[in-house]
Amino acid sequence: MKKIKGFYFPRGVHVPGRKASANKPIEDCPTPELVSLSMSMALGKPATPVVAVGDKVKVGQVIGTADGMISGNVHSSVSGEVLAISSHPNGTGGVETYVDVKNDGLYETDYMPPVPNAGREELIKRALDAGIVGMGGAGFPTADKLAPRTPVDTLVINGAECEPYLTCDHRLMVEHTDEIVRGARYFEKALGRTNIVIGLESNKPDAIEAFEKYDDVKVVELKKQYPMGGEKQLIYCTTKRKVPIGKLPADAGCDVQNVATCYAMCEAVELGKPLIERVMTVAGNGVHEPKNLRVRFGTPLIAVVTQCGGVEEGVVKLISGGPMMGFAMVGLSSPTKKTTGGLLLLTADETDEERVTHCLSCGKCADVCPMKLMPMNTVFYTKAGDYEGAAKMGGVMNCIECGACAYVCPAKQPIVQNIRLAKAELRKRMVK
Amino acid sequence: MKDIIVSASPHIRAKTSTKRIMIDVCIALLPCVVASVIFFGWYSLAIVAVSVLSASATEVVYALVYRKCWKDFKPTMKRVIRDFDFTSVVSGLILALIIPTSYNVKGEMLLLPLYLPAIGSVFAIALGKMVYGGTGRNLVNPAASGRIVLFISFTAMLTACVGTCVVSPIFAPEADVTEILSGATPLTALFASGGGLTLSPLDLFIGTGVDGSMGETCKIAILLGFAYLAIRKVIKWYYPLIYIGVAGVFAVMLAGFDFSYFLPSILSGGLLFGAVFMATDYSTSPKSTLANVIYYVCLGLLNSGLRVLTGIEVTSFCILLMNCFTPLLDRYIPRRPFGYTRDKKKKEVKA
Repeated sequence: MKKIKGFYFPRGVHVPGRKASANKPIEDCPTPELVSLSMSMALGKPATPVVAVGDKVKVGQVIGTADGMISGNVHSSVSGEVLAISSHPNGTGGVETYVDVKNDGLYETDYMPPVPNAGREELIKRALDAGIVGMGGAGFPTADKLAPRTPVDTLVINGAECEPYLTCDHRLMVEHTDEIVRGARYFEKALGRTNIVIGLESNKPDAIEAFEKYDDVKVVELKKQYPMGGEKQLIYCTTKRKVPIGKLPADAGCDVQNVATCYAMCEAVELGKPLIERVMTVAGNGVHEPKNLRVRFGTPLIAVVTQCGGVEEGVVKLISGGPMMGFAMVGLSSPTKKTTGGLLLLTADETDEERVTHCLSCGKCADVCPMKLMPMNTVFYTKAGDYEGAAKMGGVMNCIECGACAYVCPAKQPIVQNIRLAKAELRKRMVK
Repeated sequence: MKDIIVSASPHIRAKTSTKRIMIDVCIALLPCVVASVIFFGWYSLAIVAVSVLSASATEVVYALVYRKCWKDFKPTMKRVIRDFDFTSVVSGLILALIIPTSYNVKGEMLLLPLYLPAIGSVFAIALGKMVYGGTGRNLVNPAASGRIVLFISFTAMLTACVGTCVVSPIFAPEADVTEILSGATPLTALFASGGGLTLSPLDLFIGTGVDGSMGETCKIAILLGFAYLAIRKVIKWYYPLIYIGVAGVFAVMLAGFDFSYFLPSILSGGLLFGAVFMATDYSTSPKSTLANVIYYVCLGLLNSGLRVLTGIEVTSFCILLMNCFTPLLDRYIPRRPFGYTRDKKKKEVKA
């Protein structure tokens, strides 16, 4: 359908685009000798390994099964022999269980049978079996999203990609428009009768044009604004519905899926191919040539960087994901996961790491907060150790951690860090 | 790839800093300094220099003493200089611009002694800002508090010239006004011919023929500064306008709906300067939109109301008074998060 203008939310920030790889077609990244597949690829509980050392596995074979409600299956991305199952640090501060598979280079496949005419239950089961998770960054298992408690009448496809640098969703939308729409139709079927709405930021005119061809897809051109891709903001801007505090999008009658998730769903249904690879952006001034790469999970990041011409001088920060919400890493040895949408190698002039000064109570953080919270109160109370005060006066539990507050802070206060600390402490107390 | 920084997101930051904002404010204040040199001569520059220097020196000395510099002088000094963020320069500059350059004794114009701005700045920074914890923690506007100390301690010198505010003749008969102001000021000139206005709004706007505080007389300069601050997004353009608009409308109402009072009352005195540069001070104004609107509306009402009741220039007093309510406004006017629903809360209370 012809594009329509979206609404905008009256806050947020304007971040620089820096999308240097927007016109680079997706390339395949060669898979090295050894892949190491994390069991913690989805939000929630890690998967349980179901293979033993020495087992022969094929591409698409289940090597870890979902454990409990919010968890996802893990499949082998190469064929070969399981070398080791071990726990070691993941590079961002945690410890994860990894299954190391030696790549024999044959890529023998063991896919599920295609089910193009599947019914509702079958589609949800397929999403679960294929290990599909939200590929926007959080990694929430898609199967759990497809069984909402309240009726859903709108499926919102997230093509906003508001994070700077990242272009993987953009390229996917341009090169695989049809697959994304087909994937969205399968989601529509799984949810019952819904409208399909896709929201794209106005800096992707080619992708908007590509989606205008489909009659059953409502294309909404959104203002370039951060965090436009945030679930609640996207729902508001495309449908003008507000998700109530502490509720899920389903309570507003919406279901949000990322474009990459739609693509994965299409492959899972039509080819029976589980989620074993994704498109990721490698960018930043620290990399020789920014690229969009299709990477099999478990590929070490160093192999991904090598494919882009290697590391340049002066890299001070390695980020998994986007620069606003991604995680800083200690090195390039950790492997790619389902949620690794980007790898950024930033130099000192890009990151703008400055010394923290006194909070000058300017209130700019509150001005830009898309959730209308009071970040400076959160920081104030958290520093004093009063986490209940942070929840009451700062509204910290409603925070989506988009980082807009810390982005504009003239005093360079570590606002998001304080918010995470307060959230963690409050959750601990809630459990007690 | 040796020194990898690991920190929490976000990993990119806007190109802004406290220093940059404060330097922006200084730039916005420059037209006022230039205007004061044009209208009041080079002596105003001396006052600005004394005020700014003593304000900065106070902050540095206070920080040195606070950090016990006698133990380890050099690194402490280095740290203090590094932490110096130009907020006291702004306070000193504002303080200099809200006091007059000369005062009037029995018809003779005398230049203001330079120790006055020095005393004001030292008080403003030491007791108005640093004791509360420095930048961002001050309860009241340092410059306003400094001026009020001067106003109360050296009433004769300061009030002789700052009476360029227009009060409604119904409530403040000219006799009272002249008595308080103790001298031939523009305000007496205003009411000289039977209470009629002799100064045109244009004179008040440009600042010609008006005596008063250095930076407050030339409204063009203030508006230039306002435009700069608004374009640089240091302040929000609509907040000062709320203040000025409410003050003007309320003055008209108090004058018995005589609309000829609208322009003179908003263009006279320190209202415009206070609204643009002092009321918008970050740490002493509320944070949420609703609280801010209440704050500026109250300021406007207080300004016009107190002018009429006292017959003197009250902008600094109003700002100081409302500054004291800022923490209360911040605490008791809750900000509704995105997606807040009233019904849900009611249910929770019942359950």
